[in-house]
This record gives sequence, C-alpha cells and structure tokens, in this order.
Amino acid sequence: MKRFKRMLFTGAALSLAACSALPLFGCSSESDVITLRIANWEEYIDLGDWGEDELIDIENEFTENPEDGVFGENSMIDDFVEWFNSNHDYQVQVEYSTFGTNEDLYNRLSLGDVYDLVCPSDYMIMKLVAEDEVEPFSSEFFDTSNEYNYYTNYASDYITGIFDEYGWNQYAACYMWGTTGIVYNPDKVDNDSVSTWNILRDEDFNRQVTIKDNVRDAYFATLGIIHGDELLALPAGDASAQERSDLLNDTSDETIAAAEDMLKEIKENVYSFETDSGKADMVTGKVLANYQWSGDAVYIMDEADGDELNPTELWYSVPDECTNLWFDGWVMLKDGIDGNDQRKEAAEAFVNFLSRPDNAVRNMYYIGYTSSIASDLVFDYMDWNYGFVFDPSDEEYFDEELTEVYEYDLSYFFGDGYSLYVDASVLEVDTETVEESTRLLGEEYGNDIEYTVYTGGDINRGRQLFAQYPPENIIARSVVMLDFGDKLSDINQMWIHVRCLDLMDYNPVVVGIVAAVVAVVIIGLVLYHFRYRIFIKKYKPRKGYKIIQS
Amino acid sequence: MKLRFNRKQLCIPYAAFLILFVIVPLLVIIYYAFTNGEGQFTFDNFVSFFSSTNTIGTLIYSFALAITTTLVCLVIAYPTAYILARSGFKKKYVLLLLFIMPMWINFTLRITALKEILTAIEGNIAAYPFLNSVIGMTYDFLPFMILPLYTSLLKLDKSLMEAAQDLGASKARVFLRVTLPLSVPGIISGITMVLLPSMTNYVVLDMLYNSTYIMGSLIGSYFNAYDWNNGSMISLILLVIIFIVTLVTNRFSDKDDKSGREVIL
Repeated sequence: MKRFKRMLFTGAALSLAACSALPLFGCSSESDVITLRIANWEEYIDLGDWGEDELIDIENEFTENPEDGVFGENSMIDDFVEWFNSNHDYQVQVEYSTFGTNEDLYNRLSLGDVYDLVCPSDYMIMKLVAEDEVEPFSSEFFDTSNEYNYYTNYASDYITGIFDEYGWNQYAACYMWGTTGIVYNPDKVDNDSVSTWNILRDEDFNRQVTIKDNVRDAYFATLGIIHGDELLALPAGDASAQERSDLLNDTSDETIAAAEDMLKEIKENVYSFETDSGKADMVTGKVLANYQWSGDAVYIMDEADGDELNPTELWYSVPDECTNLWFDGWVMLKDGIDGNDQRKEAAEAFVNFLSRPDNAVRNMYYIGYTSSIASDLVFDYMDWNYGFVFDPSDEEYFDEELTEVYEYDLSYFFGDGYSLYVDASVLEVDTETVEESTRLLGEEYGNDIEYTVYTGGDINRGRQLFAQYPPENIIARSVVMLDFGDKLSDINQMWIHVRCLDLMDYNPVVVGIVAAVVAVVIIGLVLYHFRYRIFIKKYKPRKGYKIIQS
Repeated sequence: MKLRFNRKQLCIPYAAFLILFVIVPLLVIIYYAFTNGEGQFTFDNFVSFFSSTNTIGTLIYSFALAITTTLVCLVIAYPTAYILARSGFKKKYVLLLLFIMPMWINFTLRITALKEILTAIEGNIAAYPFLNSVIGMTYDFLPFMILPLYTSLLKLDKSLMEAAQDLGASKARVFLRVTLPLSVPGIISGITMVLLPSMTNYVVLDMLYNSTYIMGSLIGSYFNAYDWNNGSMISLILLVIIFIVTLVTNRFSDKDDKSGREVIL
C-alpha cells in the first residue's frame, strides 16, 4: 500500500508540475509564435472549400487580380494566418473553438476557459463590459489613415452610431447584425396573422408555429404581445425610440407575471420550442411559420427555394409591433490578452481581416447573415445577388415579362445614393404610400422596356433582401434588447414556471387524491415486504433453551 | 529488466479514473448544492426544491413518464423474451439480433428517424407530446428490457414446469406460479435499466417536441442561467432518488442472477 501511495503522489506531483509549466510556455513567446484563442458561434464563419460554380463574380479590389471575384478556397482562419504572417515580423497561430449560446460561452469563461477574442451578442457584451472582463481596443485600431484598419474604415456608420449610443465602440467591433421576425409560407398564412406576434398564440395555427427555445427571444415576442396596443399607438421614428425601448426592456414584476401567463398560453399553442430544428421543420413544411433571426431566415428561404423534392417560396415578416435589433460583436478579453501587446495586435488584426470587404462578402455568402461592413464591394455583392437584370444578353436571368421594379433604399446603411433596383415581386410594399413612375432603365444594354418603378412606401414583408437589410420603416420600430441585469434570475424563474409542470395548475382535490393513492400504494408495498417482521411474532424459546442457527 | 505488476498497481488506471470523473465531480456537486452564489453554506437550495410546486411537479412528471415507459417496455418485452427463450426455433438468434441491433446505432439518429415515422402516422406530432415521449423512450430502451428477461427465462429449469404440469396445473397456472416468479430477477434488472435513465433522458423529449421539462432539462436550465447551486442541488436529490430506487429493486433481485446485467454492462 505504501508503494501505491507513493506512486499516486508521484503522479500527482508530475501532473501538477506539468499544469503549472504549461502557462509558462504560453507566456514566454514574446517574440516567437503567438497563439490566438478565438471563440465564435457555430457555423458563423466561412470555412472555404466552395464549389467552382459558387464564385461570386464581382470586381474585387482586395486581391491581386480584381477579375478573380470573391471565392472561398480555404477557410477564413487559414487565410488570416497566412495574411498575418506575411506582413508581420512574428508569427501567429489560431486556436479556434465554437459555442452554441451566449450562456454557454459565459459559463465556459466563468469556469476558467481562456480566450483572447470572442463574439457574443449585444447583451452579453454589456454583461462582460459591466464585469470588467473586456479589453478595450487600442487607439491604433481606430486610426483611419492605416489602410489595414478595415473595420474602422469600412464599418457602416449606422452600426457604429448605435454602438456609440450604447458606449460599446471602444470594446466591441460589430460582426453580424439583424432583426427578428417570422418566416412563413405565404400560401397558407395570411398577411394579417403574420403581421403580429400574436401568431404565436393564434389558434388558427395551433401546433403549426415554432418559437425560439431561449428565454430572451421568447420574452421579447411576449412583450410585443403584452404591450402590443401601446407599441402600435406610438408614432414611428426617433421621437418614440426611448418609449419603445422602455416598453420592450420592461422587466417590472407585473410584466414578468403577465409574460408568464402569456408564455403558458403560447406553450399550449406552438409546435415546438426549438433551438435548431425549426429550420428543417420549416423547409420540410412541418410547420407554417417560424420565429427566426433574420440570418437564419435567409438560410431557410434559400433552402426552401432549392429543395429538390418540394421547392417552396417562403417569406419573412417583421411584425407590426416591434422587432429585436441584435448585434454580434468581437470583444477581446482581459484574461486572454493579459497585457501582451503582440497578442492584442493579432486579435485586432483578426477583426480587421474579417472586416476586409471581400472577406465580409465571403462570410455573408457562407452563413447568410448580414455583415456590419458597408463598402462598395458589399453593395456590389447585394446587387449581384438581388439586383434587377436589365441586360437582355444575360440569358440565364433576364426575363422580359418582369417589368415592375422597386428601388430599394439602402442609404441608411451604405450612405447617400445607395439604392438597389430589385424585382418588386419579392417585396410587399404598402400600396397607399408607394410612389410609382415609369422609366427606361436598361438603355445602356439596349433594352427599351418601360419599367414601372416603385419607390418609398412601407415594406413589412419580403424575401431574402428584406431579411438581410431591413428597410427604414422596420428600423424605426426596432429595439435593442438590453441585458436583464438584476432581473435575470426572476426572468429565468419565470421561464422555469412556464416550462415545468406546475401542480398549482391542477385542481388541488385531484392532486390530493392522486398523492394519497400513491402514498397508500407505497406504504402497502413496504408493509407487504416486511410483513413477517412486523405482523408475525418472533418465536421466543423457553427459558434455558436457545435457537440453533443452521 | 522484467516488467511486473502486482494487483494493486493494475488498479491505478481505474483508481485515477474513479477519482477524477466520479469522486471529484461528486464532491463539487455537493459543495455547490450546499452553498449560495457567494460561497456560503446554506440549506436554501434544498428548501427551495421542496417548496416549489414546479420542481415537485417536474419530479412527478418525470416519474410518470419513466414509469409509463417502463410498463410499456415490460408489456412489449416480456412476451417477446418469452417466445424467444421458449421456442425451439433454430434461427432465434437472428430474431434476438434484430431486437438488439438498433442499440448499435446512435440514439439521436434513431429518434430523428422516429420523428419522421411518427409524423407520417400522426400528422402533427406536437399534438401528442406525452405519447410521443413514451414511444421515443420505449424505442430507445426496449433492448435493455428484452435482454435481461431473455437471459433469465432462458436459464429456467424446464423440469420445474414439467413437474407442475405433471401435478395437474393448467398452462396459465404454470406460468403464473412457476415461470413468472422465477423470472422476477430479470424483470427487476430490466426495470432498473429502463426506469432510471428514462427519468433524465431529456434529449428524446427535445427532439420529439415535448416542451415540458423533466428533471434533466430542469437541471440544464439552471446551469444555463448560471445558477450552479440550485442545479447541483437538484442533481444531488435526483442522485439520492436513484440510489433509493436501486436499493429497493436490489432487494428483489436474485443474488446469483446477475446474468441479465452481464450481457449489457
């Protein structure tokens, strides 16, 4: 035994020594190889390996030969390492890992996992900043004169404006952003139903709508229902922004209680609380409508269009009450960077590399979400993707039957003068406010068709373009959902009340009777099992005799 | 030099495994269960478990689901095992294999397939959450019920039954008074192997769209909300419940009859 103990001790000592030595090796690399530890969402970056027919044929000024277009040959991470190592005097390698939810990431951080650069959502950025975990970007990062500072040079003013409002710019670089809404099948769901969050509890769609299986998204939609009348009564635009934000960040006790009742009602009506399965269920037609984030909505619509067995045209709707404007952003963590300037430089370079417009396009193409980058290249990509084809020589896409064009205004994001001519049939424009004109648009291609051009007007439903870049009337009713703060545990408790079977929901008499029956059965079984010991007296020998055990 | 190990040294890998993955996590769970967020000792988590109608409701729901699953498994498995064990059919191993084969495929894949089958049969599977959960779990755990029953029925001494028949017992009586009592150890080990895992197997519920939590998902939701303390307390209570159930069932099982378990474990 002594030997065994000694061996155990030696083993423990050895492993301890190994553990303590590891970080030493990690830190001593001031001039050798920097290991950048990055954590990102699953399937949230281009992993390369595109098929040859997937080439995005637009002029790409960021490669040696602009004619090559945008193409994902290798994974974005490998490309970054190659790019970084070719223009720095030290080397970097990337340790890339993924997470499934913000909470998952947060739990991992609190359990002691160390990352240099992570990509949480807005509220989690707030939480991490409040807990003083985030390393602010260096002043070099914001230097617009450096052409390699792609984020500072190309991020949309619209995005940085919002980040500025919340004081995030110093800490976070927006990666992707979007809205929340409902993907639906227009053949089977009417416009009135899909224009409100009430669809989640609409009995016409009993067990045919899905909701997100996370408390924040569910709570947001529920607030949209509870405060629906107040939200609809608010005037559109900036004047009511604060009021709207207050209504949708309402965490008062009464509202939480009301949300609990509402969510119980929703639970009885929806098909499922889903984390990922909703996409497939929507594409295969198991459900008719689906609460989604805009990027996943694009993915679902693409998949349903291309479904071999049963191609379906799905649409995306933003309910009239409100939509959640969300952001995922890169933040550096103090624990990981640990005062190492080279590591910080490498982390900032990674953000910049992803923000290089051609890389932003690659990521957008690969994952379906909308990048925060607003350069001409991204606009060209949108044009390549959704732009109207006026050129009759383009046999694949030109259709002379299509004569209705909508001028999609993207100036809020890309800057003045950026608007896109798109096929009007992919958008549902409010007919009362839209302006109509007739124009010749394809003259440069020798196309003399007179097009009916629509401009302005509210758009509440549409297809991929609408999901990727919400028009201004949608932006006007969007709200950033802040961190729950102290109310987090109350809201989580509310969620547990919703999801668990609650005895209080049942008639106390019935509960009592069932409990009594169960108790009687258990007691009966126990008594039966010990019947000999309890009911039958033990044989006692007479004085002077004893029982001989066999 | 000759490499020689004595028995104690051969235990080292297992001892290390045991300490690292069983003892230490258990201690961590106990620590969290009896502390609050600030790390102070408290019984609050324990009290809040038993004072909430939600957690008790979830416990009851889990039990109801697990007991129903076990009963359904038993009803399906007993006749199957009986026929397999009794029949003189030469290819019965093929039949047995057919029942065990699904175990070789990952259960999430099987449930995904089941989802499609159920959709084809029921139309909208979300309308029958409890039924579907029972079907899913039965699908998952049936082999665990068949195997111990099969082995315990297989080694039944035929002469006992013949003796009963010689003494004038009808077939039904032979079954009720001889076969059934002698197969109780098999039934018990089958029940343990189905009842306990089905109380926490929330992946099946998730995949088949049952949006009501069972114990496993309740623990998960606490961990997701960074509440390690309450989550650990529920895990600990579940552990104690499982321990009690195992104690009770072990009283019934035949001491020399571990054959049913040996096949699987």
